[in-house]
Amino acid sequence: MSFRLRPPLAALTAVGLLTACGGSPTSTGGSGGGEGREDSDAAAAAAEVYDTFNGMSGQERTDELVACAEEEGELNVYTSNSDMDALVEGFTDLYDIDVSVYRASGETVLQRLLQEDGAGYYGADVFEVDSIELDAAEQEGLLYPYESELRDSVREEGKPSENWTGTRFNAFVVGWNTDNVKPGEEPTTLEELAEPEWKGRVSMELGDVDWFTAMHDYYVEEQGMSEEEYTDLMTRLASNSQVVKGHTVQGELLAAGQFDVGVSMYSHTVDKAAADGAPVAWQPADGSPVEPIILRPNGIGLLKTATNPCAATLFVDYELSEGQDLVREANRISSIAGAEDPLEGFEVYPVPLDKLLEEPASWDKAYEDVVANGQAIE
Amino acid sequence: MTANLADPAVTPEELRRPDDDTPEPRAARWRWPLTPKMFIVAGVAAAIGYLALVPLGYLIWGTFFDAQGLDLGSFQRAYGDGRMGELWGNSLAFAGGAALLSITVGTTLAYLNVRTAVPFKALFFAASIVPLIVPGILYTVSWIFLASPQIGLLNAFLEPIFGAAPFNIFTIWGMIWVEGLHSSPIVFLLMVAAFRSMDPSLEESALMSGASRMQTLRKVTLPLVRPALLSSILVILITSLESFEVPALLGLQNGIYVFTSRIYFVLRSYPQDLGAAGALAVSLLAVAVIGVAVTRLLAGKGSKTYQTVTGKGFRPRPLDLGKWKPVVGVGILFYFFVTVVGPLLVLLYAALLPFYQAPSWEAFASFTFDNFAQVFEMNSAARALKNSLILGLSSAAIVMSLMAVAAWISVRSTIPGRGIVEQLSFVPLVIPGIVLGLSISFVYLRFPLPIYGTILILLIAYCTKYMPYGMRYASTSMTQISAELEESAMVSGASWWTTFRRVLLPLLSPGITAGFIYILVVSFRELSSSILLYSPGNEVLSILIWEQFENGSFNVLAAIGVLMVLALMFMVTVAYKLGAKVGLRED
Repeated sequence: MSFRLRPPLAALTAVGLLTACGGSPTSTGGSGGGEGREDSDAAAAAAEVYDTFNGMSGQERTDELVACAEEEGELNVYTSNSDMDALVEGFTDLYDIDVSVYRASGETVLQRLLQEDGAGYYGADVFEVDSIELDAAEQEGLLYPYESELRDSVREEGKPSENWTGTRFNAFVVGWNTDNVKPGEEPTTLEELAEPEWKGRVSMELGDVDWFTAMHDYYVEEQGMSEEEYTDLMTRLASNSQVVKGHTVQGELLAAGQFDVGVSMYSHTVDKAAADGAPVAWQPADGSPVEPIILRPNGIGLLKTATNPCAATLFVDYELSEGQDLVREANRISSIAGAEDPLEGFEVYPVPLDKLLEEPASWDKAYEDVVANGQAIE
Repeated sequence: MTANLADPAVTPEELRRPDDDTPEPRAARWRWPLTPKMFIVAGVAAAIGYLALVPLGYLIWGTFFDAQGLDLGSFQRAYGDGRMGELWGNSLAFAGGAALLSITVGTTLAYLNVRTAVPFKALFFAASIVPLIVPGILYTVSWIFLASPQIGLLNAFLEPIFGAAPFNIFTIWGMIWVEGLHSSPIVFLLMVAAFRSMDPSLEESALMSGASRMQTLRKVTLPLVRPALLSSILVILITSLESFEVPALLGLQNGIYVFTSRIYFVLRSYPQDLGAAGALAVSLLAVAVIGVAVTRLLAGKGSKTYQTVTGKGFRPRPLDLGKWKPVVGVGILFYFFVTVVGPLLVLLYAALLPFYQAPSWEAFASFTFDNFAQVFEMNSAARALKNSLILGLSSAAIVMSLMAVAAWISVRSTIPGRGIVEQLSFVPLVIPGIVLGLSISFVYLRFPLPIYGTILILLIAYCTKYMPYGMRYASTSMTQISAELEESAMVSGASWWTTFRRVLLPLLSPGITAGFIYILVVSFRELSSSILLYSPGNEVLSILIWEQFENGSFNVLAAIGVLMVLALMFMVTVAYKLGAKVGLRED
């Protein structure tokens, strides 16, 4: 199903250059590519460095790591993190290392990484994206484990895999326009928003399959709802909704009053707009928000084929220590346990990553259908 | 000189019958001598073939084959949706409507601008191009702010007269309106070029012989610019079929799904189902191939009919509008207030606010230049602007030079297979941007020269992507130039290359300039393949815009939009002034 060209066309387009890569296409179920990765010199060298620092701790580790990283002098970050500029600035203030950042949407960064890997071109040292893309990269065998005391302090939800480490969380909340939803009128449950009195006042986002899947697990597996009941709930919700593509437009339109409630807003979008003075909120002045709040980690992973493995490791250290202040400044939720937690006391539920990776197409389809069917209801 | 004497290109028979409709016996010309002409023609054809076949090969391979061999499962995944009929219906209604609107608007504006003594000409020309400059997402959202039933400003203003919410932008009509207006500059630029190269004496003769203005328009003017009209229809139909921004922001609201929403859904998650996306693109490809063939057929039938630039000199004299002048003037002002000034003002208004709110004293009091300040503070803004400029200017120059020759091959030459050149040049139009990016990175990751990771890879992507537009602009102009001019030059001893440079290029300049401007402007917005292919240090403006968008800073985005309009307006004006210098004299 994945779209990877095999030698015949490569020979055609790239004048037979690929044949130099040798090897027949492996039959690892669509993963393909990157046959030379494990044996490459880059991978061998990087593994040695990673193993060394993963086995060390304390001041000794830090000193040696900084010395090695500054000797490398460069770092290549592939990311979808929109606050990366601030992180890089903080990092380069501390260390004498040139950082280049390639930033694009998570799917695009992943595509690029896979394409480069397939061609034996190793452009990235670290990969910082959403958990879904990290899991995909892990499945493709691109990532190397990172160990440190800092990782030990990360919340459990932030380290479902040894191959990547959570740096912050995105929280899906129900947000509303405080001019149009008066105090006391705020929704308390999703079921409420599916009732006829909210007709036309709600907004859903076209691509929020991870939110939909998490809600499915919460309602069906935790609350004992039947599949039909859940589909019915979501269909009625969709029939009340204006469907928007993109969280930024959704946030802007919520502030402008185009609709009164967004069911899968990012908490940081709402918090940031509220800080600018926009009439939006996701928590009533007194009382609790609509629960559950869906949590999805963002994280960072070390590339097996990094050309600057020390700088890569140091960058992960930085993100899990000083970098966390920047995470909080950007209204994001820190991944470090015990840190000030804006979701303290609220019911949270994680995005079921394994499900989404196993059968992405069927969840996509389910959400697409629910939204379209709901909208078809007059 | 000697080469020309050796060239048996023109026989005395041909010279004596320049107006004869019978096909000229030019086949004898093609003996493939090793002349500069042959090298240039073959080189251009090869370049077009290469640029088009890389993404096409990648697309077809990925769509029809998998590791095991031929596999048609991608078609099942792409089209196996019960609602396919409805999606196509919506798409066709949307694209057809948008094409009709943009053709009407673009042609009318172009006619008034070039052929009549319309008031406010300079303003008018500049403003006709504005919708092209504003990124689609901003243009669409500003229309939501203007004409949404809930928060639309126009609705609020007009409520006292027409009752609640006279406009609803979230309908198929709203989608057609926004898409049609946003694409009208493509038509405008094509038609301006066509009207500039049209001999007004033909219309004058019609008027003298007693035809009314309407009759003249219907029977003389429009038929003469038919190649340009056909090109416009073709391009707009296909770009609207592919467009997702407007349908996503306006249509989905009320559950109007289009064909491209399928492409969005199959590309959304990991692993991206590019096979299915390719299968969907194949049907666009079919539409495009048929479209080009039909255009060639219609425009080719008695191609002399369209050759208005002949050996006889003419001076496009503006038609006096007489008593209609004030009416047309008011109409134009009204049009610009609604379609250009309105959205731009909303954008400027949003750019001055920390977050969007309905206009009020409170809102005006919170005006701030913070958003603009943020744009100027961005580290990479200056570099991105420079890169975008370099890429825009060079891809526009490269594409238009290649296409000038390609248009000659396709329209004027008798080389066998010339139609294929035109077909190939059109192919990239139907390739989804992400597939184009993937195919190019696939090839250059394995290429011996270090092109991957440099700005050159973006240049290659841009040249590929804008080739179809360049070809439409160049070939439309080419159909208007009479073969007799070329022939006289050759007879007078000029080589093919000299003729091309000294005779054809200047005559083509209205089309070349228009194509150049179009590519320059839209290249600033190219995102879908740039985002996969850029590398640190080679950022372009559209990447920065995307980053602001991801950051949730819609109002900073509005500020960038306003600045882009100012910067590109300036460049368009310069380009036209330069274009006018080389080409036919205006007025």
